[in-house]
Amino acid sequence: MANLLWLQGGACSGNTMSFLNAEEPSACDLVTDFGINVLWHPSLGLELGDNVKQILQDCVSGTIPLDIFVFEGTVVNAPNGTGNWNRFCGRPMKDWVKELSDAAQFVVAIGDCATWGGIPATAPNPSESVGLQFLKRAPGGSLGTGFKSKAGLPVINIPGCPAHPDWVTQILVAVASGRGGDLSLDEFQRPKTFFSTFTQTGCTRNMHFAYKVSATAFGQRKGCLFYDLGCRGPMTHSPCNRVLWNRQSSKTRAGMPCLGCTEPEFPFYDLAPGTVFKTQTVMGVPKDMPAGVDKTGYVKLTAAAKGAAPAWAEQDIFVV
Amino acid sequence: MSAEEQEGVRETITKLLAGGLETRTEPFPENDKQFAEILTELREVPAENIERKLVIAGFVDHPFGEDQYRCTECMYYLVHRKWCDLPELALPVEPEWWCRLWRI
Repeated sequence: MANLLWLQGGACSGNTMSFLNAEEPSACDLVTDFGINVLWHPSLGLELGDNVKQILQDCVSGTIPLDIFVFEGTVVNAPNGTGNWNRFCGRPMKDWVKELSDAAQFVVAIGDCATWGGIPATAPNPSESVGLQFLKRAPGGSLGTGFKSKAGLPVINIPGCPAHPDWVTQILVAVASGRGGDLSLDEFQRPKTFFSTFTQTGCTRNMHFAYKVSATAFGQRKGCLFYDLGCRGPMTHSPCNRVLWNRQSSKTRAGMPCLGCTEPEFPFYDLAPGTVFKTQTVMGVPKDMPAGVDKTGYVKLTAAAKGAAPAWAEQDIFVV
Repeated sequence: MSAEEQEGVRETITKLLAGGLETRTEPFPENDKQFAEILTELREVPAENIERKLVIAGFVDHPFGEDQYRCTECMYYLVHRKWCDLPELALPVEPEWWCRLWRI
């Protein structure tokens, strides 16, 4: 049995909603089949008020062994570093986060806000929000660069806005079943099993990307969303087109550009007007190239690819 | 627009450009804000006013600039239809033409 405690800081509960949609395994399966004992969760916990506080205090003191501490949302430091804008059980949430992280075998940050600050940390960041171990790309965050949980791992970051339920449940199962040490993390402490490939990997529009045929409006079933509509699929590390959403589809499959929500800079360009759903260009050339591609190569590739494009690449081939 | 209609419009455009129609090739939109401003201007032009569209978009009937960019490299260009798929233009074009809404 692995004790799990889930708390929320500066959060919208989106990751909780995503988690509760998990299917294989489901949130219930985690309890019945994988031995996860949910000590408390903001949407599932039965305890209120002082009873919740007692659970937290028992976890901090070690009276209740805390195996997995899950945090959703930013760590709020406003005003002036006090954290009083986000108080919970009688004290700033950031103090609970520090003490519970020190007490836990594993610490898991769920969603962009908990991993690197997400939307609340967008400039000017009035809530002084940070992630558990990052603020955007900068290491540190609330717990500091040197933090390691009792099991010897840094915070396991599962980003996304929200994170896919399978990313959450599968990592929790790995940790709860004693395989946490097998997790391989990338430079941003994301499990490599999910975040080594790109959102573009498995995208049904890859043929349109290859032949440089652009979608020019949302929901079009032909064309790639990268060229005009700001899709970040070629630069974003996520398995959204390998591990499908609701086991059915993905943003790009449905004609919606990837927003790059698993990357530390999300939301990109600080949501400045005209930067969302529009590919940013300089003199007609994209500012953000597909990972590993330079401008000269990109221009040459485009000319060659368009010249070789078959007629069907310009047509809507996804007939309902 | 049928294939015949497209061909007719293409011929009209060819004649206009060959006849020395002065279009706004400058300034080239250096960023998305400037690009969007041109699109806004184009949206106000009635679909049948092709000449006005050509002027605002800065069409020329030859490759343009130091790098000799052409419609054929532009992401809005559909090779097989010889068609500009930018919704604000939606015109038949030739691969060797260019306009300042060129993007790659």
